[in-house]
Amino acid sequence: MTLIAAQDFVSNFTTIDWWIVGIYLLFTVAVGLYANRYIKNMADYIVAGRSLKSNIAIATMLGSEIGLVTVMYASQKGFTAGFAAFHIGLVAGITCFIVGVTGFIVVPLRRSGVMTIPEFYGRRFGKGVRVYGALILAVAGILNMGVYLKAAGLFITSLTGMSDPNAVNIVMTVLIVLVMLYTILGGMVSVVITDYLQFVVLSFGMIVVCILAVMNLGWVPIVDAVKTIHNEAGFDPFNQDGFGISYVFWMIFTFGLVSCAIWPTAVMRVCAAKDTAVVKSLYRWSSIGFMTRFIIPQFLGICALAWMWQQGGADSRFFEADGSIVGNADETMRAMPIFLGQILPAGLIGLVAAGMLAAFMSTHDSYLLCWAAIIVEDIIAPLKRGELSTKTRLILARSFIFFTGIFLLVWSIFYPMQQDMLDYLAVSGAIYFTGAFAVLLFGLYWKKASRIGAYAALSAGMLALLGLTPIREALHLTNENLGMDINEAQIGLGVTVLSLALMIFGSLLFPDRTIESDTGSDIEASA
Amino acid sequence: MDLWATFWGGLLIVVIIIFAVVAIKVTIGGFFDVKEMFKGINEQHDEDESSKDES
Repeated sequence: MTLIAAQDFVSNFTTIDWWIVGIYLLFTVAVGLYANRYIKNMADYIVAGRSLKSNIAIATMLGSEIGLVTVMYASQKGFTAGFAAFHIGLVAGITCFIVGVTGFIVVPLRRSGVMTIPEFYGRRFGKGVRVYGALILAVAGILNMGVYLKAAGLFITSLTGMSDPNAVNIVMTVLIVLVMLYTILGGMVSVVITDYLQFVVLSFGMIVVCILAVMNLGWVPIVDAVKTIHNEAGFDPFNQDGFGISYVFWMIFTFGLVSCAIWPTAVMRVCAAKDTAVVKSLYRWSSIGFMTRFIIPQFLGICALAWMWQQGGADSRFFEADGSIVGNADETMRAMPIFLGQILPAGLIGLVAAGMLAAFMSTHDSYLLCWAAIIVEDIIAPLKRGELSTKTRLILARSFIFFTGIFLLVWSIFYPMQQDMLDYLAVSGAIYFTGAFAVLLFGLYWKKASRIGAYAALSAGMLALLGLTPIREALHLTNENLGMDINEAQIGLGVTVLSLALMIFGSLLFPDRTIESDTGSDIEASA
Repeated sequence: MDLWATFWGGLLIVVIIIFAVVAIKVTIGGFFDVKEMFKGINEQHDEDESSKDES
């Protein structure tokens, strides 16, 4: 792993800040371990006994979704695209609110009583679709999560001013071990409590940091810097020199609908909610958080851009000689934490670092728990003849959390990031969610949806991989070779349309007469 | 460009204010929900135990 040292910026991070970080993290882990006494069965472990009420459901959803990784990739987008990046938060918030008002997808999903999305596949389309869908979900999800540790490593080195990459790797290893420890022991109950703590610290921390940043730089100089560097494209999201209309639609789908209604960690909160009224309330209130989790970090990225420009303009390491931003994704991700290390005073910077690191752990525990639950409940259990005991399920879930954690550590260290992290996450997630959207949508709302249609839609999602630059280069499908200008947003939208079409035509051409559901009973799938 | 800048600036202020209100509400309400969650899980366990005894 190559980490560029932040030696040209001396951070305000002091020994006191390290103490704050250490004490806070130990406290968080202790609380998580304490929750272990409440785990007696798989429902306690995965969905906290389905006992979450509105406020804690909102806190835990946002505690997971507003993590260090989100803050890093959102601030990077603010840095590289300016105010126009705010459209991502805006569409995410509006879409989430609409889901909360209408109950689109999430209410019928909660009514079905399933614990995971593949479990729904199983009930609606049979065991084969459940296992196949779960396999795609697990692979896409774990790959998607694979770059989180790197983001955390860049954050730590930049904020604290550390220059030794080995020290960062050691810190990351310690963090992942701590996360695995209390996720393995505590399950969803510990996740809920730690998410709540993270939410409290991070939400107030982000607001304070935002105010300090504006006081430090001034609003007008921030706007002027964006005008100088990005021109019109730094403000207008539809401008073709910046995002363009296809990218905006891609964001409405991915960070709008998918991240709140299709992405498994969000759906886990739906399944854990007490009833459908809580589900709708959860989404209406969480829409504020879904907007904030992008807009506030993006604004900090914009502040970092203005500050770096003020420090040296085109002579700075973040800009090319012509004044444009450097293309190195690692470097642009470092801008925001370096900026925070410069403007925040000792003590406060420690609290922000502790909150961010705890948020990183919070996101990791939710995701580790989610993938482990899916592997055990939706791949191993359906394939196993005979019933798996609760004890065996818990042992398997905890084992998969351990092995996934090890894989993530290795992947984070060795995978070379070649594009903005937000775009990597959207594309790798699309392997799963393009097909899952079609299967869920028609599975919930169309009686004629069939098993063959579901297989075809899920398989089409694999094509989303073509949105990753290294894959396109390996297959010689670059824009130069194709003779046309296609970006990852257009590929993602194309794959989504293809999945929907395959679901419709597959179902019409190959209707199910009856399908054997996971529960053992035959259900009528179509007329 | 100035219109967009004004729009995004206004959105930022609105988002920060609303988020601050939500954060306060959820922080206070969440504390009581956590207590109820533990109570609810314990009650479920007690019910499970009594139904086992009956069977």
